[in-house]
Amino acid sequence: MSIQGLFVILVSSILVNNFVLSKFLGICPFLGVSKQVETATGMGMAVTFVMTIASIITWIIQKFILVNYGLEFLQTIAFILVIAALVQFVEMVIQKVSPTLYQALGVYLPLITTNCAVLGVAILNIQSDYNLIETIVNAVGAAIGFSLAIILFAGIREKLEISDVPEIFQGFPIALITASLMSIAFLGFAGLV
Amino acid sequence: MKEIMKLGIILLIITVVASVVLTYTNEITKEPIAQQTLQANILARQTVLSDATDFEEVDQSEFEGYENIIEVYKGMKDGEVVGYTVKTNPKGYGGEVEVMVGITGDSVISGVNIGNHQETPGLGAKADGEFKDQYKEKSVENELKVIKAGAPKDNEVMAISGATITSKAVNTGVNSAIKLFNEKLK
Amino acid sequence: MNLGKIFMAGILFENPIFIQMLGMCPTLAVTTSAENGLGMGLATTAVLLGSNTVISLLKKVIPSKIRIPAFVVVIATFVTVVGLMLKAFLPALDAQLGLFIPLIVVNCVILGRAEAFASKNSVIASSIDGIGMGLGFTISLTILGSVREILGAGAIFGHSIFGASYQPALIMILPPGAFLALALLLVLLRFIQSKKTTQN
Repeated sequence: MSIQGLFVILVSSILVNNFVLSKFLGICPFLGVSKQVETATGMGMAVTFVMTIASIITWIIQKFILVNYGLEFLQTIAFILVIAALVQFVEMVIQKVSPTLYQALGVYLPLITTNCAVLGVAILNIQSDYNLIETIVNAVGAAIGFSLAIILFAGIREKLEISDVPEIFQGFPIALITASLMSIAFLGFAGLV
Repeated sequence: MKEIMKLGIILLIITVVASVVLTYTNEITKEPIAQQTLQANILARQTVLSDATDFEEVDQSEFEGYENIIEVYKGMKDGEVVGYTVKTNPKGYGGEVEVMVGITGDSVISGVNIGNHQETPGLGAKADGEFKDQYKEKSVENELKVIKAGAPKDNEVMAISGATITSKAVNTGVNSAIKLFNEKLK
Repeated sequence: MNLGKIFMAGILFENPIFIQMLGMCPTLAVTTSAENGLGMGLATTAVLLGSNTVISLLKKVIPSKIRIPAFVVVIATFVTVVGLMLKAFLPALDAQLGLFIPLIVVNCVILGRAEAFASKNSVIASSIDGIGMGLGFTISLTILGSVREILGAGAIFGHSIFGASYQPALIMILPPGAFLALALLLVLLRFIQSKKTTQN
C-alpha cells in the first residue's frame, strides 16, 4: 500500500465522504451535543479516541476469530459488544489516569456506545477489505471528519442562538437547515480524490 | 465477588442463547443466500451479454498482469462461445467502481453494467442510466474516449455532466476489458 | 393503560421521528425513496417487536446492573436474524439499505423502548408498544422518502408521476436534501399544530 493510497483514504473519509454530512453516521450526537463549541470539541475528542481503538480491535477480531471459524454472521453482535465493553473500559482508564481529561470527556463516553459512526466505521473497514494500516487511517479520518463537522456546526449554532429566527423555525428545524447548507458545502469536495 | 460471578453467568447464558439462535438462522438462510448470489451473478452477466445462456469461468492465469480485471466469464450458447463478460474495478472518486463489460465474438460491446460503487448517490448513479447505454454496439478495435462537449464520434462517449471522474472511471474499466479481449480472448 | 392507547402513542403522540427525534441516522440516510423508507421502517419494526417482547419476558431475570449489555445482545440478535432473512429472501432491498441494516442495532429508538417501556411493562403491552413505535417510525420514514422521491426524482415508489418534462430537483435525493426535507416537514407539523391551538 503506497502513501498516496493512504492519503486518498484519509482525504476521502474527512472531506469527500464526510461521515456526518454525506453518510449520515453519528447524526444523534451531531444534533444533540452541538449547542456549544466547547462540548462539541469534547465529543469530537472522545469519538476520535474510541473510534480508532474500536476499529483496530474489531478488525483483529474479524480477521483472526470470525473469519477463521466461519462465524461472519456473528459480526454485528461481536462488534457492538466490543464497542460497549471498550467504552466502559476507556471510561475507567481515563478516570484513573487523568481526572482532568475525565472531567472533559466523561459525560460523552456513555453516549458513544450508541453512536452509529463507531459501529459504522468498524463495519465499513471490513466491507472495504482494508488492511490494518488502512483501517487505522480510515478510522482516524472518519473521526476527524466527524469532529470537524460537529465543531463547525456548533460554531454556527452558537451564532444562531442570538439571531432572530422565525418562531416556527426555532430549535430543530433551523438546525437541520443549517446542516443541510453545510452538507451542500461539503458536496463541493466531491471529486477531490 | 459472588455477585460479579452471577452477573457474568447471566450475561453468558444470554449470549450463548443468542449465538444458538443465530447459528440456527444462519443454517437456514445459508442455502438461499448462496442461491441468490449465484442467480444475481448470472443475471448480471446476462444483462451485458444477453445472447449467452451459460457461463464458464475463465482461469485467473489467463488475465494475470492485466490491470483492473477481477473475473472473466466465457458466455456460451448451445455449446458455442458467443462472447465474454469481464468484471473490472477501476477507481472512481469514492473508491472502486464495479464495471461489468460484455463483448461478443464479433468484437462489439454488447453491454456495460455498473455494480457496487460508492460514488455520490444521484450524480454517480447517473452513470447507471443513459451513460452506460452509449457503450452498446461500440466496436472494440480502438480504445474508447470520454469527451465533455461536442458530438461524440464512433470511439467516443459523452461524460455525465458533473460526474466526469465517474465517467472516466467507467471508461477505464471498459478499456481494460477491451485490451484483455484484443490481446488474449479474441 | 389500555392497549389501543399504547399503540396510538407510538404512531402519533410519541412518534419516534417527528416528536421524539430519535433514530436520525437511518431516517436521513435511507429515505432517498419511498420504497427504501418503507423497507427500513418494516425491518426496524420487526426488530422492535422481537426485542421488546423478549426483553419484557426477561425483565425479572436480568439484573439492572447488566441490563444495557443484555439488551444490546438481544437487539443485536434480532438485527442479525432480520439481516440474514433480508439477504436470503429480499436481496434487492438488502443491497439498497446496505450498511444501515447492521446499524439498526444502534438505533436509539430500539434501546430507548427497551429501557423506557419493555423493562417495566407486561409482555403484551410491550409487543403492542413495539408494533406501535415501529409503525410510527415506518410511516415517518415513508413520508420523508415520498417527499424526497417526488421532489428529487419526480416519482413515487418508482412510478414516474410528472412525466418526462419535469426536471427533478436532484438535490433532494442527495445528502443536503435529507436535512432540508426533514426540517420542512417539522415546520409544517408545527404550523398545523399552532393553527389547531389557536382555533381552540
